[in-house]
Amino acid sequence: MGAVAEKSPEETLAHLVRLSQKPGVQSTLILSRDNGAIVRTTGLISNSSSANPNSTLPASNETAPDSYTNGKKDTGMNSAEDVASKVWAFLTAAGNLVEGLYEEDEVKLLRLRTKKNELVIIPDCKFIHVLVHDTPPA
Amino acid sequence: MDSSIVQRREEILAKKAKLAELKKQRELRKAESSQRQSLTGSPAREIVSPTPRRADERTRALDEYIDNILGESRPSSAQPQSPAGGRATRPTSVISASQLSSDNEAQSGPGAQYQVPLSMVDQGMQTLSLGNLTTVYETEGVDVGPPPKREKEVITYSKGVQADIEWSPRKPRGAGESESERDDSPTRSPHTPKRLSRRQKERDEEIRLQLKREIEEEIKAAQKAAEAGEVQTVSGENFPFKTLNNEELTAVENSDDFIDFVERSTKVLERALDQQLDYDILADYALGGANVDEEDEGYGSSGGKKGRRIKEIAQFWDDRWSKKRMVSDLGFSSKFPELVLASYTKNPSAPHDPDGLVQVWNLHMHDRPEYIFHAQSDILTAKFSPFHPNLIIGGAYSGQVLLWDTRAKSSPVQKTPLTGSGHTHPVYSIDIVGTQNANNIISASTDGVVCGWTVDMFSQPQEFLELTSPPPAKTDDMAVTCIAFPQSDPTYFLAGTEEGSIYPCHRYDRAGAKAGVDGRVKYGGHAAPVMSLDFHPAKGQIDLGDLVLSSSVDWSVKLWKVRPPAATGPSNTLAPGAAQQVAPLLDIAREDLVYDARWSPVKPSVFALVDGAGSLEVWDLNVDVEVPLQKVTPSENKRGALSGGMGYMKRSLNKLAWEKNEGRRVAVAGMDGVVTVFEVGSELGGVETKTEEWSGVKRLVGRLEGASEGVNGK
Repeated sequence: MGAVAEKSPEETLAHLVRLSQKPGVQSTLILSRDNGAIVRTTGLISNSSSANPNSTLPASNETAPDSYTNGKKDTGMNSAEDVASKVWAFLTAAGNLVEGLYEEDEVKLLRLRTKKNELVIIPDCKFIHVLVHDTPPA
Repeated sequence: MDSSIVQRREEILAKKAKLAELKKQRELRKAESSQRQSLTGSPAREIVSPTPRRADERTRALDEYIDNILGESRPSSAQPQSPAGGRATRPTSVISASQLSSDNEAQSGPGAQYQVPLSMVDQGMQTLSLGNLTTVYETEGVDVGPPPKREKEVITYSKGVQADIEWSPRKPRGAGESESERDDSPTRSPHTPKRLSRRQKERDEEIRLQLKREIEEEIKAAQKAAEAGEVQTVSGENFPFKTLNNEELTAVENSDDFIDFVERSTKVLERALDQQLDYDILADYALGGANVDEEDEGYGSSGGKKGRRIKEIAQFWDDRWSKKRMVSDLGFSSKFPELVLASYTKNPSAPHDPDGLVQVWNLHMHDRPEYIFHAQSDILTAKFSPFHPNLIIGGAYSGQVLLWDTRAKSSPVQKTPLTGSGHTHPVYSIDIVGTQNANNIISASTDGVVCGWTVDMFSQPQEFLELTSPPPAKTDDMAVTCIAFPQSDPTYFLAGTEEGSIYPCHRYDRAGAKAGVDGRVKYGGHAAPVMSLDFHPAKGQIDLGDLVLSSSVDWSVKLWKVRPPAATGPSNTLAPGAAQQVAPLLDIAREDLVYDARWSPVKPSVFALVDGAGSLEVWDLNVDVEVPLQKVTPSENKRGALSGGMGYMKRSLNKLAWEKNEGRRVAVAGMDGVVTVFEVGSELGGVETKTEEWSGVKRLVGRLEGASEGVNGK
């Protein structure tokens, strides 16, 4: 945890921006677990007019338009809300699975590979971090 | 709230109507079933027989319930007087379930599945489940009839407020559990009151859940009615979206929880991204075949050459922190071999940043350090504590010795004071000696002061030793650039000086020698400051622990065989007063300043050096003592080019460190602040060593000794 507590929000933001601009990263999303609010997104558009534009960070220039069209065609995951609800459902299902198999255990990390993408989902007690990125060329 | 009450009332009216209809149907059915009963044989009788009675009671209950509702006398319905009061909860729930069932089917599998049969029980297929249900109601009426009713009422009204908890994941799970409980219960004896009350509680729970869901559905529907129809359908499926306004957003983002979480999650994500670059576990070798790893080692005819290969595997650089700093030291963690620490000097163009910096890099996370530590003064040396994986010690230009903890924040958890009791000159060399349970930090500063510290107490040195140049020198002062301890003896060390000589030193007074520099022996040979000293790690069959490697800016690396401290006594008596000068076993001249030279931790004959030209050389004494086996330079990265301006100097490599457990990796770094990690082939690293390698070094040393003695004799 070293150096964590001293981190300022700006540095945290910088981490997120940098992560979202790494090669291959299509989109990122941070959800609050308490109320399902979308705290941060990159590389996703919102289909709700009530969404707060401040929660969206700039995605990497090369990949953003690319991932947008890509996402729309291949997965239909072009809206943050859509991704959020689907991830939520997936996470709930995974949580049920784990709880059904091993008592008092919980999901720490979900990696889901598709033909074209990989979703990495990190659930935590308060937040959920989702990252969608290209899989390396075979 | 008001609107929900109105809605509720409407709904109750609707239910009333339905109940009335149900009542009619049931009376009809009762008549039918009594006929049927007379027709059927005895086996069925047991199951069927409760029917009339139950139907009777049910009718009574319904009547009473309807009366209650009509009279608007809710409190009286909660009175404990009649079993019917408790029973009345049932029909409500059943009806609401059946009302809901269409919604629920779309919403969640488990809930819907069990609700559908429930409603069917009441409408058509009594015969199968009636026996169970009857017993429940008898007991229910006796023990705990009233409370559920009251509870139900209370909860009905408070639901609207709690609407936004709704989509939390616990809820569907709760429903699933109660369902499974319910499945169990018929197999067990339904006559135990405990079991029953528990079951009943669960049923209440179910009812509550249903009511809750129902009401929320209504509220949501009412709220979303204004919005588009599409949105409404989405909201039906636990839609996890809530808009945060700017203030909420800032609040969340400034919370420690969030910052903490992002710190952790981004690290995991970056590791995940970097990991898949190394190897794709979904690789299908049947396809393509173009990507087969050609660098597989140890196979094929040219295996010998391949074993000596050096491959660059990572470069570490951070835009924010590495810029315009030079790397002053490097070290691998012995507990976590993927962690490399690098200490840095100050960034002269950023006066507001801390001068001193230590970054801990992870081989699995290339673009960002795992930890960042700060200090007020340039860090000149740092290393992981070999005895505690969380601790990092460092020496600063200010003369302070610092201690960081990876569990703590970025500033040091302990530091020595800037007073006369410790160092007042830059600390360029630091070591931790001793054992797991008794170890000391030994630090040396350029004024010749050597201090011993314990991790527990940094306020004052445990030991204080001032090294002075032995008599023949013109001055007492001794400028110590580096110290090195042998593996076997923590009380004795070598000190390299700016003037080029290397002196043996004792930490304590011992027989025949005082603490401090042992003036009887001097390892002379270097003509310029000694930059590094390294004792042979000596972990093998033959003890080579007396071999020392020294590097110097006189463009050479020298190999020494040091005398054991006890053996210095007699030689002193032979030639009192005069220091005996020992010549190096081997003098390897290089083409540039040599800044660092280190033994491989596993291969007895292998060492590596870095020089001012920016090359890493790996030597094997058994193979060649004049030419390096391998010579590589870190790849020209764009960062180096970007921050350029120092040209040739820029490429200079200051430090090198071997990974200590396997000896497969070497980290090098220098002026440009970029840390580069190489992996060496199986002949230069790896745990398996052959006996010949050890005996080979032994023979070589013997040969060299013979030669130098021959020279000395003449």
